[in-house]
Amino acid sequence: MRAVSRRRLAAILILLAGVVLPAAAGEVLDGVKSRGVLRCGVSEGITGFSEKDASGRWRGLDADFCRAVAAAVLGDAERVAFVPLRASARFPALKGRSVDLLARNTTWTFTREVALGLQFPAVLFYDGQAFMVPAGAGIKKATDLSGASVCVEKGTTHEPNMDFYFAARSLSVTPVVIDSAQEVAAAFFAGRCRAYTSDASQLAAARLSAPGGPASVEILPERISKEPLAPVVLNSDREWGTVVRWVLYGLITAEEYGATRDNVDAVVASGRTPLSRLGGDRRALLAQSLGVSPGWVMRAVKAVGNYGEMYERNLGSGGPLAIERGLNRLWSEGGLMYAPPID
Amino acid sequence: MTDLQIYLTIAIFGGVILVIALDVIDMAVAALLGVSLLLALGLLTTDDVVEAAKTAGGPLALLFGGMVVARVLAKTGVFERVGDRFLHATGGSGRRFLLLLVAMVAPVCAFLPNATTVILVAPIIIAVARALKVDFVGPMILTAIVSNSAGMLTLVGDPATFLVGSSVGMSFGQYLRQVSLGGLLAVLAVVPMLPLLMPQIWQKQTALPPQTPPPAIQRKGFVVLALGALAVMVVLFLFGELLPTQIVPPAVAIIGASLALLVIYGVHVEPVDNVLRDVDWKTLVFLGAIFCLVQAFTKTGLLQGLSLQLYAWFGAQFTQVALLLLAGIGVLSSLLANIPVVAASLIMTKGYLVAAEAVPELAMAGGFTDWPAATVPVFIAMMFGATLGGNATLIGASANIVSVGICAAQGERVTFGRFMRYGVPITVVQLALGAAYVLAMVTLSR
Repeated sequence: MRAVSRRRLAAILILLAGVVLPAAAGEVLDGVKSRGVLRCGVSEGITGFSEKDASGRWRGLDADFCRAVAAAVLGDAERVAFVPLRASARFPALKGRSVDLLARNTTWTFTREVALGLQFPAVLFYDGQAFMVPAGAGIKKATDLSGASVCVEKGTTHEPNMDFYFAARSLSVTPVVIDSAQEVAAAFFAGRCRAYTSDASQLAAARLSAPGGPASVEILPERISKEPLAPVVLNSDREWGTVVRWVLYGLITAEEYGATRDNVDAVVASGRTPLSRLGGDRRALLAQSLGVSPGWVMRAVKAVGNYGEMYERNLGSGGPLAIERGLNRLWSEGGLMYAPPID
Repeated sequence: MTDLQIYLTIAIFGGVILVIALDVIDMAVAALLGVSLLLALGLLTTDDVVEAAKTAGGPLALLFGGMVVARVLAKTGVFERVGDRFLHATGGSGRRFLLLLVAMVAPVCAFLPNATTVILVAPIIIAVARALKVDFVGPMILTAIVSNSAGMLTLVGDPATFLVGSSVGMSFGQYLRQVSLGGLLAVLAVVPMLPLLMPQIWQKQTALPPQTPPPAIQRKGFVVLALGALAVMVVLFLFGELLPTQIVPPAVAIIGASLALLVIYGVHVEPVDNVLRDVDWKTLVFLGAIFCLVQAFTKTGLLQGLSLQLYAWFGAQFTQVALLLLAGIGVLSSLLANIPVVAASLIMTKGYLVAAEAVPELAMAGGFTDWPAATVPVFIAMMFGATLGGNATLIGASANIVSVGICAAQGERVTFGRFMRYGVPITVVQLALGAAYVLAMVTLSR
């Protein structure tokens, strides 16, 4: 009896060892696969980036990027648990491993990367900080705001950027620091401040909910900062960062070579694009090295479309914001979106 | 880590603690088996072992150095002389013995590493207890507990206290003003409990033989050199970190041990091999294994992940969070080495304070020191929990493990339960006192 029990115990231990021995890839990737769900930290609701629609489905560029990663890693774009986070809670959530990936309008900065031990795999959206003011208020440029009160969200880079911008011109404004993006917009529309400063894309989203309609406010032309918005992962897991980076690069590459949600299989099969090089024997080798199953790029593109499709649907002409692509165009079209080659 | 890996790690860790607590098998064997299982299941990797070695290296070096120096000093007869004076200072009274023990150990441990101090004073304590015809186990456990508690007297008294204090930019002077009184109260809280915890010793009165002149020192040169090695070690413990090339306490311990061995070798008192053989390797191996187990537990990220949960539960109620941390870290430190617990808790606490918007996100980086006054009691509560929680169990602090190891070497095996009979009541009272101190701090700062 005892011998049988020991044999059983040994079998269980061997089985467990097979289950839990670390894979080649990083531990976050292992955790995502084991859980079968990608925990994605998003905003509490920013139109165009991550916002729940009337049916309860998360929409936006960030939400779609989470789906693309889930499709690449788990084979199912719907296996995402969206975790809405305030700006101040996003890094504690990531550092505390409550989320696997942050896709929450987060600006890639040197300080964050170095001091907080984070990795920003690649830029998802190039933005810049701007000011929104009431239309017809006689404010035509940012320096006209000297001495005015400006609403700004707490825990973001916007307040120091604004201080720096005005101090450099020997001017000053009075920041009104408020907890969340929605509360900042509400305060501005309630007249608590003369202007509202944030990323231009966030201002465009907030403008839609202006009580007097979008035309009642205007966004000033200056961009006072560089705001490269990027997904964020822990720096301690380089393999996971590589997966996230190449999912985004895969979407950009797909746009560059005309692979869309509808034709990606045909484009890959044609053998005339770099994406096709992910086929054949190398397909399995590269996927294995990345820690995902073969076909990961195709799954991501089929789930959300290429980068251009994703952009147009959420931020461009297909969505309510209709933000000009500008810097977010492909490099070949005068923008900054550039994916390194596959070979 | 995957969810399954987290469950397995917790199960193995809990299993080892249980096996030790129930005294099923030898504690060192239990800890090593736990580590082996973690390694076999891939839950502990080579990198983790290296990380654990980085954390354990300091405490192990302190213990090794203390053991070697104490072993060399034992040959000089200095312990007998100090012990004889100590014995006669007690006047044969068990009560005075215990009080003198507290008075002697506490100030020393405010500046010197706890476990090293325990090793150095243990021969004196045991000799006096034997002369008074009382069991030395209680006094040895008391020595460990007082040494841990006294770690709160100064910023450098305990590595966990130092870790928290330095991570929030607290200076030595600021610590003295804000925390030392709490540490002193924690040490003094032990005294009124002594008649209850050790009634036989407290009531003991033994007639002492008349004091005779100490025997003449045989090898004066050896004694001078050995005491010189001890003096170098103590001076470097106190001032080594102020030197242009900082010498940290673990390095001091190794320097002290090397000098002591050089003395033994140079004066030809006995072979160096004999000294090294008498080092309590079992205690060192056990402690190393415990650090590996704790590394695996820390890797689960369970503690770090509580930052948002804390905010969800308490919002910006820092006083409640401080009291919860004091109790929670106290309990965890009673089962885990307090350094990794504190390291993980710091990530959690800083994350909580960032989420509560008490500080900017940069506060999560190392070296941030601009903490608002309202957040300081949270960190002081962590210090109380981490330093005093270790008093509860045999495995709560390296000084406890060393103390028990010394008892075992003297033929008295101390079980997990026996240690807890002394440790738990003292810890409960000390943590309650710590909570009152934190509440008083909050009230006074308003």
